[in-house]
Amino acid sequence: MQGDPLGRDEILKLVKDRLGEILEVEPSSIQEGDSFRDDLDADSLALIELVEAIEEELSERSIDFRIDDEDLEDLKSVRDAVDYVSSRLG
Amino acid sequence: MNPNSLPVAVDAMGGDNAPSEIIKGAELAVEAGIPVLLVGHPDAISDISDIPTKFASEVIGMSEDPATAVRKKKDSSLVRSAEAVRDGEALAMISAGNTGATMASALLKIGRIRGVSRPAIATPIPVLGRANPNILLDSGANAECNPEWLVQFAEMGAVYARDRFSTDKPKIGLLSIGEEPGKGSPLVKEAFELLDEQDWQVRCSGEFIGNVEGRDLMNPDIDVIVTDGFTGNVALKTLEGTAKAIVGALLDVFSSSPEAKEGASLLAPSLLPLYETLDPESVGGAILLGIKGVSMVSHGSSGPKAIFNAISTAYELSIDKHVEHLEQVIKR
Repeated sequence: MQGDPLGRDEILKLVKDRLGEILEVEPSSIQEGDSFRDDLDADSLALIELVEAIEEELSERSIDFRIDDEDLEDLKSVRDAVDYVSSRLG
Repeated sequence: MNPNSLPVAVDAMGGDNAPSEIIKGAELAVEAGIPVLLVGHPDAISDISDIPTKFASEVIGMSEDPATAVRKKKDSSLVRSAEAVRDGEALAMISAGNTGATMASALLKIGRIRGVSRPAIATPIPVLGRANPNILLDSGANAECNPEWLVQFAEMGAVYARDRFSTDKPKIGLLSIGEEPGKGSPLVKEAFELLDEQDWQVRCSGEFIGNVEGRDLMNPDIDVIVTDGFTGNVALKTLEGTAKAIVGALLDVFSSSPEAKEGASLLAPSLLPLYETLDPESVGGAILLGIKGVSMVSHGSSGPKAIFNAISTAYELSIDKHVEHLEQVIKR
């Protein structure tokens, strides 16, 4: 069964919450325009942890979603990640 | 459920001798009263009736890229083993399969202890004339490290030495190319400065003894040797290769003449304890330190004895709350 699609604000909150857990920072301190590497000091491993966490969260909501590994290197910022998830769910 | 009654999840499909030798090792553990959950392909484990099983349709090969394999093979025995720990079905996990994939599945499914920057692989190195081995970390998880990570490896290594080998105040050395503080790469020099501070030593009840060299890996005056994953892996494999070559050469000499054979048979009773000390099967495996659940990696060539020892160690560390002890030290 496919769950209700998420709005952009919900996706942004999801990305910030999960990223906050992984990087051990307050989600509210993460800005949409932040670069993973330059602003958040998040390396490639943190990005994989984020992707896994988003996939699991969405699967718990019965949303069939998967991020292609080939697309990972295009995700440079929080905004990139939110846009990517939005477009795939749209 | 009483956590002590939870099983150790055993990846039945990992290793050169899987699944038969892994299953034999699991059976030894069950005979010893340790609960086990065998995770593997139905073709391999569906006939097992005396051990609880969990089916997985995929297997991650020894040469597969770890992160990619863990992300793509969601129904692999390794990923399912890690999920069993995450979901509270198992206390701990062990695998003799792909080390990188074991680390990736444990990291992505079970997760890091809060405050741990990077988990590390801690490998026991036998010490001649002493019952307890030295601990080498990181022996391969992180090819590139920063100095702060090495301090955290030292803290985790000290807690592990105390929990697993009852070492009261573990002596910790930093692997370098000379004993003097100024020797080594920029990473080693910076790490030395940080390791020389008292705070972390007090926190983990360890003692930094300065730089140590490659020749000190089996030195009985050290308990924990800290290095980056690249250097640690090279050091470990060098030691393994050297030991194998020497043992091979000795066996050749022992069979080179009737006199040598006779001499070898006379020496055999004295050599056996030495063999026992050096035998990797006696130790059972390396641990992934920094994961929120005990996760052990056995050597790819593990036989039943090594698997039994890994299961037994994983069970005991879990019951003794090793992860909680790490959390207490790492918590800032």
